[in-house]
Amino acid sequence: MEPIAIEHLSKKYGEYVAVNDLSLTVERGVCVGYLGPNGAGKTTTIKVLTNLLRASSGKAYLNGVDVIHHPKAALDGVGAVVETPEFYPQLTPEECLSYVGTIRGMSGEAIADRSHAVLEQVKLLEVADKRTGKFSKGMKQRLAIAQALLHEPSILILDEPTSGLDPRGMVEVREIIKGLIKTDITILMSSHLLYEVQEVCDKVAIIDRGVLQTYDSVANLSAGHDVTVTINTLEPITPPEFRAINALHDITSVKRTETLALKVSFTGGPEAQFRVLRGILNTGVKVVSYMPQRAAIEDVYLQLVPEGEA
Amino acid sequence: MAPNSVRQIATVAKYELLKYLRGRRLLAIVLLTIIISAIFLIVPPAIGAQYPKDPTQFTVNVLSFLGILSILSATFFGADAIVSEYESKTGYFLFPNPIRKTAIFVGKFIASALVSVGAIALYYVIAVVSVRVIDGSIPANTGLSFAYSLVYLFAILAIAYLFSAIMRSSVYSLVLTFFTFFLILPIIDAVGSVAKFKPWFSITFANGISQYIFDNPYPTDKIFTTAAPGASGVGVQTYSLAQYYPEVRLSLIVMAVYFIVAFVLSIFLAQRREM
Repeated sequence: MEPIAIEHLSKKYGEYVAVNDLSLTVERGVCVGYLGPNGAGKTTTIKVLTNLLRASSGKAYLNGVDVIHHPKAALDGVGAVVETPEFYPQLTPEECLSYVGTIRGMSGEAIADRSHAVLEQVKLLEVADKRTGKFSKGMKQRLAIAQALLHEPSILILDEPTSGLDPRGMVEVREIIKGLIKTDITILMSSHLLYEVQEVCDKVAIIDRGVLQTYDSVANLSAGHDVTVTINTLEPITPPEFRAINALHDITSVKRTETLALKVSFTGGPEAQFRVLRGILNTGVKVVSYMPQRAAIEDVYLQLVPEGEA
Repeated sequence: MAPNSVRQIATVAKYELLKYLRGRRLLAIVLLTIIISAIFLIVPPAIGAQYPKDPTQFTVNVLSFLGILSILSATFFGADAIVSEYESKTGYFLFPNPIRKTAIFVGKFIASALVSVGAIALYYVIAVVSVRVIDGSIPANTGLSFAYSLVYLFAILAIAYLFSAIMRSSVYSLVLTFFTFFLILPIIDAVGSVAKFKPWFSITFANGISQYIFDNPYPTDKIFTTAAPGASGVGVQTYSLAQYYPEVRLSLIVMAVYFIVAFVLSIFLAQRREM
């Protein structure tokens, strides 16, 4: 029994098809990045999975329970952050967590313990007893993540979890997700941030105009696509050094962009990236910086999602 | 594992009440209740007038504000109860939990009903205590009047929830609820007197039983005919006006039907509504 199983799911609004015959299975303990341009159907899929929308046809199962017909049972072991939820301004974070914890059948003691833990995790412990009415968008997003984690779910469904967060908050949320991945939790996470998905997720599903374009591991998707790195050097690269770099295994092209800068493209994943760096250093070039210009996932995404849609 | 729906309903009701207690609307209703009661009690001696000698008439006078209080309660505590979850996006926090929307709806309705009943009860208590202090008696049928007021309150609260389940905007729902009971239906009731049809189907007309129950005997329908000079002062033109009174049993049935239909329909619509 897979934690998340979507079978021929469609969602229509009149003539407009938001999700078209989508089938997707997420294995236990896997983190899936769900990518696509605006209006591709990411949030619609997540809303169907979290009982916020009714599917027009097809089925969706969470831990083997049909979420469309038995949402209460299906959502039992699920934590979700959909869009940036608002909280009742009269309630404090502690009360919000107590509210959902009681709805989920947690004991008072468990709610108190877990509330403390998750509020500390999302760095909201200091405002735990302050009403949420004046919270910033970032604070609300942190609280949303806290309520999703409160009951230690086996499935976590996140709709752009770093949306609204400042750079530090984004890093912290990514670290939380990375920490969760080490456990047995299954995560489906939609995002616009391709590097975020590549950094955090095991697998990637790309959807466009409601249709699933690809679904594979990050490693498989990265393989076969060129990665371009920008190399800055301390001294100008000599012609023999340039030729030596060009001759390295994995390299597909080398271009001098400035006196002290090169653009090197190669095929492969992180291991190839390491081999290329080591090879360049072995040529005697004094490398100051070595920065991948864009993620391999970005290449796959741009190939699958035509221009003008993102 | 998520508890049964009854416990979840109690949880929703508890937190809705907490929201009301910390919000301004409950405070506004309580203050309004006290101020209006005070006006009835303080103004007559302040202007040198006397309270009505008949304790029943005094009670009826004080309770004349009850209809507006019920409308305000339904508006404040029911008219945006559902729509606000969608409009203000709090539904994204509450709905993706293992709880049926029906349980959320019922929990909210119970909380709305409790605070509204509290406001109405407070007003009755003030009225009864005042009459008791001033006249030394409590009019017969006060309990029945309170019971009828609650039936009316539940019916208009259910209709307010129905508007809340249908409308896309809290403001529209609030305005529609208030003006339906404060203006539209009372106009229909008034037109009935002129056009000589009895608006027995109107819930605001039916609510009259909570006031007329104090009359002994219970009033019956009347037609008044008056004569006036005709056009250009030629001849005599007669005009007739009807004074209709709601029948107790029929009015209770009408209010109960409004409650049941609106309640069931609003649950159905709220359950089907998407974020």
